[in-house]
Amino acid sequence: MSGAPRRSAPHLRVVAPVVGVAVFLTVWEAFIRIRDVRPFVLAAPSDILRYFGKAPGDFASASLITTRHALVGFLAALVVALLLGSLLVASPFAERAAAPVLVLIQVAPFVAYISSIVLWLGAGDPPAYFTTALVCLPAFVFAAVGGMRGADPASRELFASVDAPRWEVMWRLRLPSAMPSLFTTARYSIGLALIVSYLVEGSNFSDEGLGAIGKRAAANNIGDALWATVFSMVVLGTIGLGLITLLERWLLHWHASQRTTNA
Amino acid sequence: MSVDVQLRGMAKRFGDLSVVEQLDLDIAAGSFVSLVGPSGCGKSTLLRMIAGLERPSSGSVTIGGEPPAQVRGAKRVAVIPQQPGLLPWRTVAENARLLLQVNRRRQPVGHPDPLELLAEVGLVDFLDAYPHELSGGMRQRVALVRGFALGAPLVLMDEPFAALDEITRAEMRDLLARLLDRHPATVVFVTHSISEAAYLSDRVLVFSPRPATIVADVPIDLPRPRNSELEDTAVFAEVCVDLRHRLQGAMR
Repeated sequence: MSGAPRRSAPHLRVVAPVVGVAVFLTVWEAFIRIRDVRPFVLAAPSDILRYFGKAPGDFASASLITTRHALVGFLAALVVALLLGSLLVASPFAERAAAPVLVLIQVAPFVAYISSIVLWLGAGDPPAYFTTALVCLPAFVFAAVGGMRGADPASRELFASVDAPRWEVMWRLRLPSAMPSLFTTARYSIGLALIVSYLVEGSNFSDEGLGAIGKRAAANNIGDALWATVFSMVVLGTIGLGLITLLERWLLHWHASQRTTNA
Repeated sequence: MSVDVQLRGMAKRFGDLSVVEQLDLDIAAGSFVSLVGPSGCGKSTLLRMIAGLERPSSGSVTIGGEPPAQVRGAKRVAVIPQQPGLLPWRTVAENARLLLQVNRRRQPVGHPDPLELLAEVGLVDFLDAYPHELSGGMRQRVALVRGFALGAPLVLMDEPFAALDEITRAEMRDLLARLLDRHPATVVFVTHSISEAAYLSDRVLVFSPRPATIVADVPIDLPRPRNSELEDTAVFAEVCVDLRHRLQGAMR
């Protein structure tokens, strides 16, 4: 009867991932030392961490900027996808018409057209927001449409039996039904949003964000600086994923994916 | 609080497939009418047409003199489906209130309190539970309450107990009978169970295979209130045998 999900023991939740990362970094460090790999090919974890120590403030403020770019783009994509999704669910014609355009956006390599967007929207934040939102959009629309369409037919009939207006079917039935697929997509898109923001920051002539540091480091063959931005990205991605997981646990407590035992 | 239902020359075709053919039927206000027949014979389609969820190809339905769309728009018909269709993100209490909350502008007057109904069906300790925490029988009880909470004069049930085990099914049947004692309504009930139909009904309509036509219209004159001892009586057995023979006749 208890609805509380059974959590794994603390040593599994905390210790296991830490051990995994430690082993990975140790093997990496050993590989660099034994094979004597040159820093601009691949930096050693110890050097990367030391580089962080030199200018922790720079990486922190750059991380905040990248986070802002990624988050705004991610949320904009989600909002547009929900609006667009509810239109497409209502009209099979619109859905068919939109599908090829969405696929086009999804498969077009955004790295190739970033400079066009910068030329169009100018330097700084706007191209970062726009590109991130654009690249994240298709997966969110597919998830929204699929989830809304998958709403339980018995429930849909029930809503129809009291003449529920369309917006109520959307708000009370279709939207909650789409939550599981939206969360699955969000887990993937949060990483994607960070990567797109990073790459735009390397091309938007504003010298802000982790991407700008990375671009400069790569151009000057400063391996440890480049890898320090990669580490920062990993930290941001992990935090983002953790927050989504918490939100999911809270909002989707009723869903089978959040339970370890089935009633 | 009950209404009569009239079907006149009603037919339904899906393309070339005739599902219901030229049906005339009068259901008296306050009566419990069961529809039995081979599966896929069009009973559910008939029920959906009465609910106004499906448009007849020809003919008409009136509920207390009004067309189904109007009755549905006023939330004066309760549909209780085969699958409970509870919303998994809502608690038992919230699910019970669902039909009252949806389309709130058309609130039926003098509807029963869903919480009191939940108490009547023995779910008072589960108000804050979620559907996944309930047994199949409990979920179907919530679905019953959700329907009855509208206080609708017409209740349409499409094999509501079909997915339940024998024991739970008998419990649900008695529960439904008790609910109807306190909250009277005209009921149209689709079922595959002959004993369920005999136990609950004032009248059983036996349908032919598709296209659905009425092959027998059997009044059930068993005394009321009915309880589970009725099942052991010879007269109940006779009614069931009679219905079974008529159904077998219809299948031939």
